[in-house]
Amino acid sequence: VGDKPIWEQTGSSFIQHCYQLFDKDRTQLDAIYIDASCLTSEGQQFHGKAATVEKLSSLPFQKIQYSLTARDYQPMPHSCIISMVVDPIMGFHHMFLLKNTNDAWVCANDAFRLALHNFG
Amino acid sequence: MRDKLIWEQTESSFIQHYYQLFDKDRTQVGTIYIDASCLMWEGQQFQGKTAIVEKLSSLLFQKMKVDEDPITGFHQMSLMFLLKNISEAWVCTNDMFRLALLNFG
Repeated sequence: VGDKPIWEQTGSSFIQHCYQLFDKDRTQLDAIYIDASCLTSEGQQFHGKAATVEKLSSLPFQKIQYSLTARDYQPMPHSCIISMVVDPIMGFHHMFLLKNTNDAWVCANDAFRLALHNFG
Repeated sequence: MRDKLIWEQTESSFIQHYYQLFDKDRTQVGTIYIDASCLMWEGQQFQGKTAIVEKLSSLLFQKMKVDEDPITGFHQMSLMFLLKNISEAWVCTNDMFRLALLNFG
């Protein structure tokens, strides 16, 4: 079994860390975002670290079953990594664009959709 | 009703154009990608315009609508495009697709 590519290792540990903070202490998400970050949550846009963390802290659901998700990672120019997380059980799609700034990884762009299934 | 933000306008006309090419003439999908483009399709990686067009051309479903299995379940598709403006044209540099089959059996 070959080693995973570096962008996959970096992306995967970043996302795992991010979801753990989301589950346990959302105030610490402040370290993940920068002032240039954009979040789109269910079609609503939020710009900047403060607005993003405020929105994420206000979301009601508690835990994300990270182990059940499908995760894809790709390298991008200028030391960026793009990731997509799809959870077929809870029905959410989450896209992250990670950027390396001063030797630390931050989330520059974040877009989230919860797909609610209507069977009526 | 507000006007769409410029990036929303670019993105929605790009995607509409993309789906039309996908449905009507997949060989032309090559114009959307560049040699540095990456596609991930159901976890498999394809690098560069040629490999991507070959993969997309080989897909069985005819339109951006999966054949429905009448026995169980519903299909959920997730498609992410990263667009870049190069020499005043929009191209897709990164593309990811996941089909989540939901079984309720």
